[in-house]
Amino acid sequence: MTDEQPRLGLADSAALALTFFSLGVTLQVLLIDRGASLWNALTATTVIWSATSQFAYLAVRDAGGGDWAAIIAGAVAASRFGILATALVPRLPAGTIRRALASVNAFDPNVAIAVQQRDERRVEREFWRVTAAMFGGWFPGIVVGTLVGNVVGDIDRLGLDAVFPAALLSIIAGLLRTGEGLAAGVAGAVICLALIPIAPAGVPIILSMFGVGIGVLATRRQKGSTP
Amino acid sequence: MTTSAIVALAVAVWGQRLLGGFVVGPVLARRPGLAQAVGLVPAAVVMAVIIQLSMADGRTLVVDERLAGMAVAGVLVWRRAPFLAVVVAAALTTAGLRAI
Repeated sequence: MTDEQPRLGLADSAALALTFFSLGVTLQVLLIDRGASLWNALTATTVIWSATSQFAYLAVRDAGGGDWAAIIAGAVAASRFGILATALVPRLPAGTIRRALASVNAFDPNVAIAVQQRDERRVEREFWRVTAAMFGGWFPGIVVGTLVGNVVGDIDRLGLDAVFPAALLSIIAGLLRTGEGLAAGVAGAVICLALIPIAPAGVPIILSMFGVGIGVLATRRQKGSTP
Repeated sequence: MTTSAIVALAVAVWGQRLLGGFVVGPVLARRPGLAQAVGLVPAAVVMAVIIQLSMADGRTLVVDERLAGMAVAGVLVWRRAPFLAVVVAAALTTAGLRAI
């Protein structure tokens, strides 16, 4: 039963909180390293509500891209959250406000556990339990990160610039474990690699979404080969 | 981040979540083929963001300490290591190689 309806135990909650704490700290330290004031870094993170979009935005700005190229790349990267919401909302109890509240807080761990519930009555409750664990780490993390941002010093020397891509890889690992997800991911990476030297900054990330076509073809071939 | 970036990204993020939940979700529930294709978008786009963060220096492709950190992270993710182990190993590998 427990396998069918995963619930977050105390140890899992603590690990999730610690994960989001460290993600919050590193995001704020990066923002401040890239020139944001304390207030700007705190506002950006709490208003945008998506670390992935901020990573994508900063990556394009670091590559010399303009503000709008970086914004579009950040918006495309946020598609992940819209897609998480498509999976979550139909499983929630009726009620526009309840559904909207859950929808805007859709992240990977809470949606993953909520949609695995077989008992419909538990979907919403488990969603908010996981969310509580995440936020229990996230909010202290962004406060601590904002406060220590100026004293960390050269973040590249500490290898913190490698933390963000590693964190993103860990977050989408579940998607890459399926054949079509891996095909789409590799195709997106190859499109980006091919375009970085020739296209304006931001464009490689935006056009990488066409890697989905390769993922779909991979699925068709898999289906075709299954008797 | 610029004010326009904060506002525009907030609209994009909050808007896509609400649009996904209330508009796209019900459509996809009736079209499983489309739902599967849409579900693959994050794999492609986030991998591109990872490439940009770990292999680009401006508009030049570079192989440096970050990629070594990512290689270690990739192995750990593949072996289902916990999130913290992945990011700490990536940072230590990158910082260690830079210190040499």
